[in-house]
Amino acid sequence: MASVQFAAATRFYPGTPQPAVSHLDLDIRDGELMVLVGPSGSGKSTALRMVAGLEPLDEGAIFIGDRDVSGVRPRDRDIAMVFQNYALYPQLTVAENMGFALKQHKVPKEERTARVREVARVLDLEPFLDRKPKNLSGGQRQRVAMGRAIVRQPQVYLMDEPLSNLDAKLRVQTRAELAELQARLAVTTVYVTHDQVEAMTMGHRVAVLRDGLLQQSDTPYALYHEPANLFVAGFIGSPAMNLLPCPSGQPIGVGGCALEVDTGVTSLLASFGGDRVVVGFRPEAVRVGEGPVAAHIRTVEDLGSEAFVHVAFDHEGEAVSAVSKMPAPFKGVTGDPIDVRFAGTVHVFDPAGARIASGAARCAT
Amino acid sequence: MRQEPGAALGTAARHDELRRPWRRRLPLLPALVFTVLLTQIPFLMNIWYSLTDWTIVPPSSRRYIGLDNYGDLPSDQFFRDAAWVTVVMTVSAVLASLVFGTLLAVLLDRKFLARGIARTLLITPFLIMPVVAGLIWRNQMFSGLYGVVNWVTARVGMDSIEFVSRYPLGSIVVVLVWQWTPFMMLIMLAGLQSQPAEVLEAAKVDGASPFGTFRQLTLPHLRPYMELGTLLGTIYLIQVFDHVAVMTGGGPDSTNIPYFVYRRSIGGGWDFGKASAFSIVVVVASIVVATVALRVLSRLLRGEEIA
Amino acid sequence: MAGSAGARLGVGERRSVNAVMGVVAWIAALLFFFPVFWMILSSFKEEQDANTSPKLFFSPTLDRYSDVTESTTGLLSFREAFFNSFWIVMVSTVVVLLLAIPAAYALAIRPVPKWRDVLFFFISTKFLPVVASILPLWILAREFDLLNTRLVLMILYTGMNLPLAVWMLRSFFQEIPRELVEAAEIDGAGLKGQLASVILPIAVPGIAATALLCVIFAWNEYFYAVQLNPADGSTIPIWVTTNISTRGDFLAKLSAASVLASVPVVLAGWVAQKRMIRGLAMGAIK
Repeated sequence: MASVQFAAATRFYPGTPQPAVSHLDLDIRDGELMVLVGPSGSGKSTALRMVAGLEPLDEGAIFIGDRDVSGVRPRDRDIAMVFQNYALYPQLTVAENMGFALKQHKVPKEERTARVREVARVLDLEPFLDRKPKNLSGGQRQRVAMGRAIVRQPQVYLMDEPLSNLDAKLRVQTRAELAELQARLAVTTVYVTHDQVEAMTMGHRVAVLRDGLLQQSDTPYALYHEPANLFVAGFIGSPAMNLLPCPSGQPIGVGGCALEVDTGVTSLLASFGGDRVVVGFRPEAVRVGEGPVAAHIRTVEDLGSEAFVHVAFDHEGEAVSAVSKMPAPFKGVTGDPIDVRFAGTVHVFDPAGARIASGAARCAT
Repeated sequence: MRQEPGAALGTAARHDELRRPWRRRLPLLPALVFTVLLTQIPFLMNIWYSLTDWTIVPPSSRRYIGLDNYGDLPSDQFFRDAAWVTVVMTVSAVLASLVFGTLLAVLLDRKFLARGIARTLLITPFLIMPVVAGLIWRNQMFSGLYGVVNWVTARVGMDSIEFVSRYPLGSIVVVLVWQWTPFMMLIMLAGLQSQPAEVLEAAKVDGASPFGTFRQLTLPHLRPYMELGTLLGTIYLIQVFDHVAVMTGGGPDSTNIPYFVYRRSIGGGWDFGKASAFSIVVVVASIVVATVALRVLSRLLRGEEIA
Repeated sequence: MAGSAGARLGVGERRSVNAVMGVVAWIAALLFFFPVFWMILSSFKEEQDANTSPKLFFSPTLDRYSDVTESTTGLLSFREAFFNSFWIVMVSTVVVLLLAIPAAYALAIRPVPKWRDVLFFFISTKFLPVVASILPLWILAREFDLLNTRLVLMILYTGMNLPLAVWMLRSFFQEIPRELVEAAEIDGAGLKGQLASVILPIAVPGIAATALLCVIFAWNEYFYAVQLNPADGSTIPIWVTTNISTRGDFLAKLSAASVLASVPVVLAGWVAQKRMIRGLAMGAIK
C-alpha cells in the first residue's frame, strides 16, 4: 500500500545531450493505476525503470510511500515488475518461476507453495504449474509473468508494455482482465504502453510523455476533452484529431466556412495576441453528406460499427485532409465529391502548441 | 550533482547503493589481481635484468650497465633475422589459414553426406599437440627417406627433397597452416551460421547469383569474424616455439623471436642481460602491434553497442 | 532466425552442385586428416616397416604401444605423465572458470565503467611472448620451491588461459537477455543467485566451449612444462619428446606415443565440436 512520487526526477544517458527523462514531477496515488504513455523515445520506460531501480537518477528523487528510494537497490524496494518480453526463467517451471522471489526472500516452502497455488488459481494457470516457459503459449507466458509479480504482494506493480507481444484479439481481452484484476487487488500500479487505446481504457489516470517531458497527466476524460497541448491532442484519440492552421481573426474559418463558437471561446480568443492559431476537431465533430465545404472522398474505412471517411478540401488555398466519423454503412467511394460541415467541440491552440480554448462550434451557413 | 528535494518530506538518509562503484568492481578483482601478479612482476624483473650485464657463462657479477644491452641490439644481425622470420612466419600462416579456413567453412556450410564426420576430421589438426604435429610432419611427411610427400612426388617423376632442410621456414609454415586452418574454419562457420537466412533468401528473390551474394552480402557479414580470427591467430602464432624447436632446431632461416630469445638465454647462450633486453624490445613492439590491434578491437567492441 | 544458411536446397538448386561441393569437402577432409591417419597407422607397425618408404600394407602389431607404456625406472612413464597432465589441466581449467566467470559478470552484466580498458589489458598480457617471461618465472619458481612441481604449471596455465576465458565468457554473457537478469535482481537475487539461477544455466554452451579451448591449450603446452619441470611433474608433451631418438629411426614407437598423447584432447574436441561452433557463433563475436 503505497503511493509513488517522482520529484524532479531526471536521467541522462551518457553521450546524449537531451535527458531521457527531464525533471519529471508526478504523483501516483495509493491503489491507482497510472499509465505512462508516449511514442518511442518519450522516456516512459526509463521513468518506469527509475521506479524499479534499474536506472539510477541523475537528479531529483523517487519516493515509494514516504520513503526516498532513489539510492535503494531494486531488491530492497518491495516492488514487482512485469517485463515486455516476460523475462521468465527458462529452466524453471511455472511454479518455480512464480515462487522464485519468495525463495530469494527465504519464505518457507509451505507458504510459498500455498501462495503460488492461490495466484495460479486466480490466473487459470493451475494446469501449467509443472511446465517450462518454452512449452507455453504467448498468452500463458504473459499470465505467468503477471503471476510472478502478484505472488510477491508488493507495494507497487510496475508493468512495461506487458500486452504488446500478444496478438490483437488476446490483447483486448487481457486488457480488460488486467484492469479488473488491478481494481480487485487495489495495489498501486505504474503501467507503460505506447498504445493510447490501452492507456485510455485502463488507466485511472494517464501521463503523456514526449522526449522526456511530461505533457499532461490527467484522467482519460480530461485528456480527451481538455488536451493541454497540440501533442496530447494529436496523440490521444484514434483516428487523430484533425488539426488545421488558421488566422486568429474572428470569425475562425475552416475550409471556407465561418464557425460560430461559444462566447467563452470567443472571449478567450479575443485576449490572444498572436495572429495564427491551430484549430482542432475530433472526427466525430466532422460530418460529411451536406454542408458548406466542398470536398472529395480520399478513402473510406468501414469498420462495420462505424466508418471513417477521409476527405480532402481546400483550406486557405491549400489542399488539406480531414477524417470524419460517420455511422456505418456509408455510401461513398474514393473520388466521390461530398460536402462537409463541422459541428461539435472545437479546440484552439496557439502556434507554440498550448491550448487556448475549447467549446462548441458549428458552421455558420 | 544530486539534489536533496526529499528533505522537506522528512525522508530517511539516502544510501546510494545503486551506484556504489566498488560493488561492481569486486567480481573482477580476483581475475585481475591474479593476472597482474603473474604477468607484471616477471615483466618488471625482465626490465631490471635487461639493465645489467648478467651472464652465466662466463659467470659475471650482475652489474648495472644501464642501456648498454639495448645499444648493442640494432647491430645484432641474428636479432634482425629472427624478427624478419617472425614477421614472415606469422603473416603467411595467419593469411593462409584464414583463406583456407574460409573456403572450408563455405564448403561445410552446405549439407552433404556425412557432413558431421567430415567436419570432425577437419578439426583434428587443431587438437594435435604442436610438438607431435611438428614431429609427424618432419619425420613422416617431409622426410627425404621415408616421407609420404616424397613418395607422392616420386610418382610424378620428381626427385626426393628433404623438405625440412631445404625449406625450413616453409615447412614450418605448412605445419602451422595445417594446424590453424581448422580454428579459422570454426570461427568462419560460426559466422556463416549467424547470418540470417532471410537476407540470403531476399537476395535470391532479387536475382543475385550465388557468387554475387557471397561477395556482396556474406563477406561483409563475415568481416568481424575474420578480424577475430586474425587477432587470435596472430596472438598465438607470434609465440610459436614448439614447431621451431622440434622441426628445425633453429638455424638462420627458421629461428623466430621466441626461439631466438630462448637460445640466447636458457637454451645455450646464458646471456640473461642481453636476452632480457631482447624481450623488452619485443614487448614494446608487441604493444605497438597491439595498439593497431586495439583499433580493430574497438571497432569490434563498438560494433556490438550498435548491434 | 539464423541457421546454416546454405544448408537448405532452394527451388531450382541442383542437387549436383551440393554433391560436387560435398565431394570437394570430403577430399579436403581426407587430406587434412591424412597425417593423423598416417601417424595412427605407423603406430601399429614394426620399426622396419615404419622406417622404409611408405607402406600401406603390413602386419599390424600392438607392440609399439606396450614399448611406449612400459615403465622404466628413472625414466618418465606414460602413466605418471598422464596423471600429471590430467591433474594440471583439470585444476587450472576449473580455477580459470572460477576466476573468469565473476570477471565476465563484471564486464558484461554489470559493466564496470572502464570495461573496455580492462578487456584490453587482459588481452594485452597475451601479447607478451612466453619466452620473455620464462627467466623471471624460473627464478621466482625456484625462490618459492616450485620447480618440478605440478603446482607451478597449474598457476601458469591458469594465467595463460585466463585472458581468453574472460574474453569469451564476456561475449557469451552479453547474449543473456538483460531483462532476465533484471527480473532476478528485482526478485531479490544477488550476484550468486543471479549467476546460479539465470546466467550459468543459459551460458552453459559458451562455458563448455571456453573450457574446451582452455583444456586444449593447457594439455598441449610444451614450453613452460619443459623449462620448469624437466624431471618430476612432467607432462604428456614432455613424455612424447622422450621418445625421440637422435637417430630418428624409432618412428613407430614415436607414433604410438603421439597417438596416446593426443587421444584425450582429440576425443574431447570431437565430442564438443558442435558446442564450440555454437558457442563461437553465439557470442565470441558480438
